[in-house]
Amino acid sequence: MRTTFATLPRWWITVAALTVMAILLSPFYWVLVGSFMTPAELFGSQMSLWPKHFAFENWSVAFGRLWPHIQNSLFVSAAASIGTLLITAPAAYGLVWRKPRGRKTLFAFTLMTQMLPAIVFVIPLFIVFTKIDLVNTLAGLTLADMTFTIPFALIMLSAYMKDLPYELVEAALVDGAGQLRAFLMIVLPMTLPGLITVGVFSFLIPWGDLIFALSLITDDSLQPLTLQLYKAFGQYGIDWGFLLPGSVLTAVPAVIFVIAASRFIVAGVTRGAIK
Amino acid sequence: MARKARLDTSPYLFILPFVLFCLLLMLYPVVFSLTLSFREATVDTFVSGDMPFNGLTQYQAAVADPIFWRAVVNTVLFAFFSILFQFTIGFALALLFQLNFPLKNFCLAALLIPWVLPVLTAANIFKGLFNDIGPFNQIFHMVGLGPFPWLAEPAFAFPATIVANIWIGFPFNFILLYAGMRSIPIEVYEAAKIDGANSWKRMVFITLPMLKPVSAAVLMLGTIYTVKVFDLVWVMTGGGPANGTQLLSTYAYQVGFSLLNFGEAAAIATLMVLLVLLLNLVQMALQRE
Repeated sequence: MRTTFATLPRWWITVAALTVMAILLSPFYWVLVGSFMTPAELFGSQMSLWPKHFAFENWSVAFGRLWPHIQNSLFVSAAASIGTLLITAPAAYGLVWRKPRGRKTLFAFTLMTQMLPAIVFVIPLFIVFTKIDLVNTLAGLTLADMTFTIPFALIMLSAYMKDLPYELVEAALVDGAGQLRAFLMIVLPMTLPGLITVGVFSFLIPWGDLIFALSLITDDSLQPLTLQLYKAFGQYGIDWGFLLPGSVLTAVPAVIFVIAASRFIVAGVTRGAIK
Repeated sequence: MARKARLDTSPYLFILPFVLFCLLLMLYPVVFSLTLSFREATVDTFVSGDMPFNGLTQYQAAVADPIFWRAVVNTVLFAFFSILFQFTIGFALALLFQLNFPLKNFCLAALLIPWVLPVLTAANIFKGLFNDIGPFNQIFHMVGLGPFPWLAEPAFAFPATIVANIWIGFPFNFILLYAGMRSIPIEVYEAAKIDGANSWKRMVFITLPMLKPVSAAVLMLGTIYTVKVFDLVWVMTGGGPANGTQLLSTYAYQVGFSLLNFGEAAAIATLMVLLVLLLNLVQMALQRE
């Protein structure tokens, strides 16, 4: 119980917080209800806060048109997420507990890459991928997206690895387990919450990526969801009846994640900030 | 002996895939980008394959272009105003959430939504809100103002993109400042209370000074993230109208992928990195005072 600042009746504060929340989240509310409105109602002379009649056809049309691209996004995001975990889980464990030479340099390099704008990677990867025929492939896009997820995942996982009770690993080693076995049977299960959190973020980052898709994928059938939606601006103006449900669809994984894992996020961020 | 050898080599096996990834897909591109900025890499040389070294020509071309300087000024202003408001809103929310109240965790999680949304979704939302006949103009119309040409005039489009970016970034500031405030020991506040400090005084003399390390980290991360912003502006305005919202990120992308001058784009990218470093140094100097 923290009564640091003032002591007001507690429900009053809830009312205040909900009011602030309603104002701050109103743009999100707009896209949710707007996705069910006809363009005429959306941009009419009067502001409409609730659809007069629900234009469900917005959604069925958008979903039908976007479904192949949702599949592309699912593939790229899942592949990037799995790849990221396969690479960073052993690396974070190795760097934190096995203390190989050069670990400080590796950590410093990883942190440094977080400072670089995407364009620093986009141009060279575009040129190199053109030469080795990885442009216009989902594999190429996955690899490119992993340049976002890998450093981020390593930094986050290292924090979880530091909390690992290493005595358990040592006990297993004494009992004759090899390093690999100890890693698989002890380290991975014990850091599961961290692996899940990092895995989800490593899914969401490629899911929302635009810049790599924009530069590496021109073939329409291979475009991920974000790129297809971006292309909807087109030369005939903006089809809002398509764009708004599409935007909500793009947001679905992130919103599910917030609802499902809010406690973990808050705890994780809180911990990270204190360290 | 064999066992000892295995134990010694295995740390390197654990980090091997990561090291390979870093070398091939991170370090190599970074070095490639840097060397590219000293080479003539346009459509012609790109197709023929030899991108001749030509020293600082790309950098000279970049800084000779007034649009580049427009983009520099815009990037700095964009970062400054975004961070100013993100931090202020985040700080106010963090203070509010130090209180305990029913539904607190629900509100906290909901307020993270703008931050986890794909940037494209946020960009589309604000493209709609700032539409000529969209909700913002509808609201201004109700009080007899407008309509404002939000995304059609540079003087309006630039603040519009900043508003959108503030919306995306305030939760990050909020959650970190919230965590930072929670880590201040409650005893400090209680002692101050006993000494008769009111809540305002406690905020000015305890919360603000003790929050300094966290604030510094938040501001630094904010600067890094804000200078990197690309998707939001690219989708909302494409850098237009008339370069009014052109940032270094969007400008570099245009030079690279619209004008197909990869060498100059790489030079702009390098200058962007220098700008981030410079802004962080300025920030550190200011914080020391």
